[in-house]
Amino acid sequence: MGNSLGSDIDIMHIAKLARLKIDEEELERYKSEMTDIIKMVEEMPDIAESLELDADNAMELRKDSLEECGISRDEILKNAPKVVAGCVVVPKTVD
Amino acid sequence: MKLFEYKAFELSDMLRDGKISSAELTKSVLDRIDEVEPKIDAYLTLCGESAMESAKQVDKKRMRGEELSRLAGIPIGVKDNISTKGIRTTCASRMLEGYIPVFNATVVDKLIKSDAVITGKLNMDEFAMGSSTETSYFKPTRNPFDTDCVPGGSSGGSAAAVASGEAVLALGSDTGGSIRQPASMCGVVGLKPTYGAVSRYGLVAFASSLDQIGPFGRCVKDVALLYDCISGYDRMDATSKNTQRVPCFDSLTGSARGLKIGIPEEYFAEGVEDSVKNAVMDSVARLRSEGAEVRKISLPSTKYALSAYYIIACAEASSNLARFDGVKYGYRCESPKSLIDMYERTRSEGFGREVKRRIILGTFVLSSGYFDAYYKKAKLLQERIRAEFDSALSEVDVIVTPTSPFEAFKLGDRISDPLAMYSSDICTVTVNIAGLPAVSVPCGYSGSGLPYGMQIIGRRFDEATLLNAALSHESLMGGFASPKL
Amino acid sequence: MINGYEVVVGLEVHAELSTATKIYCGCKNSFGLEVNTQVCPICLGMPGTLPKLNERVVDYAIKMGHALNCGINRICKQDRKNYFYPDLPKSYQISQADIPLCHDGYLDIILENGTKRIGIERIHIEEDAGKLLHSDRFDGSLVDFNRCGVPLIEIVSRPDLRSSEEARIYLETIRSILRYIDISDCKMQEGSIRCDVNVSVHKPGEPFGTRCEMKNINSFSAAVRGIDYEAKRQIALIESGGRVVQETRRWDDAKGESVSMRQKEDAQDYRYFPEPDLLTIVVSEDRVKELKDSLPELPNHKILRYIKDCGLSRKDAEVIVDVPEKAELFDGCLELGCKASRLAANWIIGDISRLMNEGRQISELGITPERLKKLVEYIQDGRISNASGKIVFDELVSSSGSQNSPDIDAIIEEKSLLQVSDQAALEELAARVLAENEKSVFDYKNGKTNALGYLVGQCMKASGGKANPGAVKEIVLKRLGEL
Repeated sequence: MGNSLGSDIDIMHIAKLARLKIDEEELERYKSEMTDIIKMVEEMPDIAESLELDADNAMELRKDSLEECGISRDEILKNAPKVVAGCVVVPKTVD
Repeated sequence: MKLFEYKAFELSDMLRDGKISSAELTKSVLDRIDEVEPKIDAYLTLCGESAMESAKQVDKKRMRGEELSRLAGIPIGVKDNISTKGIRTTCASRMLEGYIPVFNATVVDKLIKSDAVITGKLNMDEFAMGSSTETSYFKPTRNPFDTDCVPGGSSGGSAAAVASGEAVLALGSDTGGSIRQPASMCGVVGLKPTYGAVSRYGLVAFASSLDQIGPFGRCVKDVALLYDCISGYDRMDATSKNTQRVPCFDSLTGSARGLKIGIPEEYFAEGVEDSVKNAVMDSVARLRSEGAEVRKISLPSTKYALSAYYIIACAEASSNLARFDGVKYGYRCESPKSLIDMYERTRSEGFGREVKRRIILGTFVLSSGYFDAYYKKAKLLQERIRAEFDSALSEVDVIVTPTSPFEAFKLGDRISDPLAMYSSDICTVTVNIAGLPAVSVPCGYSGSGLPYGMQIIGRRFDEATLLNAALSHESLMGGFASPKL
Repeated sequence: MINGYEVVVGLEVHAELSTATKIYCGCKNSFGLEVNTQVCPICLGMPGTLPKLNERVVDYAIKMGHALNCGINRICKQDRKNYFYPDLPKSYQISQADIPLCHDGYLDIILENGTKRIGIERIHIEEDAGKLLHSDRFDGSLVDFNRCGVPLIEIVSRPDLRSSEEARIYLETIRSILRYIDISDCKMQEGSIRCDVNVSVHKPGEPFGTRCEMKNINSFSAAVRGIDYEAKRQIALIESGGRVVQETRRWDDAKGESVSMRQKEDAQDYRYFPEPDLLTIVVSEDRVKELKDSLPELPNHKILRYIKDCGLSRKDAEVIVDVPEKAELFDGCLELGCKASRLAANWIIGDISRLMNEGRQISELGITPERLKKLVEYIQDGRISNASGKIVFDELVSSSGSQNSPDIDAIIEEKSLLQVSDQAALEELAARVLAENEKSVFDYKNGKTNALGYLVGQCMKASGGKANPGAVKEIVLKRLGEL
């Protein structure tokens, strides 16, 4: 491959997509590490094929029948950081 | 010889014959943990009390004359990315420091049904991302053969626990070598089953299309025993395969006569230490002298496997780990100012550096405009690698390679250089990419007494042939040697 | 056309499927239950859980595909759509990207002046998200995950609609089909059917304009208002020298306006990739055919048939077809060879619809196709009057459910409702009435034509209401002429 696709990878943008916060000081380190990894990755040859679905790799589907897990609401929400009135609480969100 | 030092299949007979009780055995293992755990740090959560309790229950059942499984009463450790109901499951991450699952992984249910005794949860690289168990948020685990060295990873806790007698058997998970590589570095046997052979339900996903749960033991028979227990179709896992299965343990003969072994030149190339190559080739020579047929084969796309692996694994990981957002379970940052602030701070504070690095790489390769150049290409390479293996395995029964290109390294040696760390996976990742089963068996020691491992790769769902070859090698080699602790 | 601009509309309809369980787990698929009680580790996306696709979801989507004349991708897959939101537990939605289950179909919608073919780009299956609840009483939002994993199909039209009215008819036709093939409850207020709208405007002959997507449309009438607003906004923008920018807008139905949510530059990057926890979906050719054969006659076809075969107006046909029970009753009559189908339609549109609007169901009204056919044929034949028909109908309804509900003939007999159409009897009756009302006869002869009505009325009264009014009028007229 000629010019590297990853050479000017916008770490900040990617971090934003991934909901990660990266400090300025970490940024340089991420950049150089990513560049190394991307370089390795870009040695892969081009293959002029398209991805085909494998019909032999079919999955078994589930019957539409009720299967209750039998776990109470309190139990299933016990790991949630904040719960009020049987609901998980998050900072005010309006779309 | 103390009870914790015996192999599982031996203990199984002793328990069956009433020579020992599970309570005595479990006590022996727990005492061993007390003794060596400060040096090894294999466990993240110990379940001493509940282990003793289940041991006593099994003993009662046995007293009543109930028919019990071969694993009944055997102390087994479980990697901390396998969901255990009521027992903290952290994935060695700050993100899940206090997370207590409300359900069991299918393999854990199978262990419980088999009356196995669960000793606790074993340390690992954070979210199984690493090759040294140093990325654990809580602590690094030490290699029982040299506590200045890493045990390998990511299932380093599992390998170290089995090697040091802190568990008779253990479960690990393998996405790119995470069972085989630490098995190799800790001188034990570790099996990565065929993709789809063991249910992934309850395994906290790193890379869904590559992950498999597998057994660790101090000998091939032990690994076969545990594999027989955990494998099989599970309707909870759409990727688990409903194939006819042969119980491995009962089919083991240990004979290598007529076994066709393929030696791929690409796995003995630059980057693999000569001493490792020699140890493996010596083992192959022994197998040949026992009647195995050895031939050279070629797997030319191997050189791209590591790249394809990192793309596919990180892409899937970036999505699999997106659920850790501070909403439903696990870590949430202090007093978030807004939703986005909660997301970003929770994830930045909750995940360690290696995890973040892989999430970023995975997010990048899937992002708009890059998908075809990276992800799609990696998937196409995966097909090519798979086809090469299938073709090779139509001519030979098993393929033999080194497991790790080098023996265990010192703590801190590679942690700051991602590529150097990733290079320890070069012999193992192809197997996950191809979805094949492979076992690592000890095949010698370095000058400083650190174990080498040999990898035996087999055909899909033919773990029996694979383990038989491994057993044959093990009989010729002389089996597990305890570390001096 | 608005102010010389053509409006181009494309719609994305999301319909919740009425399966018993969710799409990837065995939790109940239901609405309105207590918060976070219809959830399990799988639909909550707890670490280590895996999805297992519900086969009925695939069946239902294929049925809709057939109904909309789509090609079926028997071999397809699911993909992950990645984005963060508190109501999405896994932070990705399992959906379908490049290979939807159904593709390239069409729907013929019925307009005032004929039918119009609307292209269907695709139908795919995916999971619904949960709901955020807000309360002014505290600082934060609450998340209810009950709806997570409820199965959805997304039906994407081509930009073939040219007005809000066409969009409304399209939406109503889609809803009607979903009901007919019985795969969705289509309760808009429960959010079981929702739509996103794409609107652009351009001058005829010029290429399509830049489109804007509008979200948060919660009713079909809101879709109409939203499209009209958006078209006018874009036209005004262009007319004032501005340029439409590609963006996603949020419709505020209360305010009757849309506001920009995000522009194309910061469009979400969903990072679609194949769902690795699921393998290939493979549906056999036999199953695809079986599902096709299981489809009932579709409502839009029914409407056309009623117009063509029964002479109904489009509006009347729509009223009957709109509710499958009504159409079933009407079709029952037709199948029995009803000779008064027009009249049967009127009864369904009139009295039967009125009762149904009161919450009654046809099955509990005691009105079977056999009975309706007999009733309307008796009226058409003149055996009973329209008024008597009403009496019979009310009697059937009020006695329905009782042990031995009487048949129509028995009611007519019992209540002496049979209309007198016997010529001789009517002649005799008329002669008697005319003789008894000389004054009125005299008036009529002197040009007071309204005396005729009085005389006919007297005849009717004399018959106890049972005389056929048409026949009576004829005879009275004839006799008056002879005098």
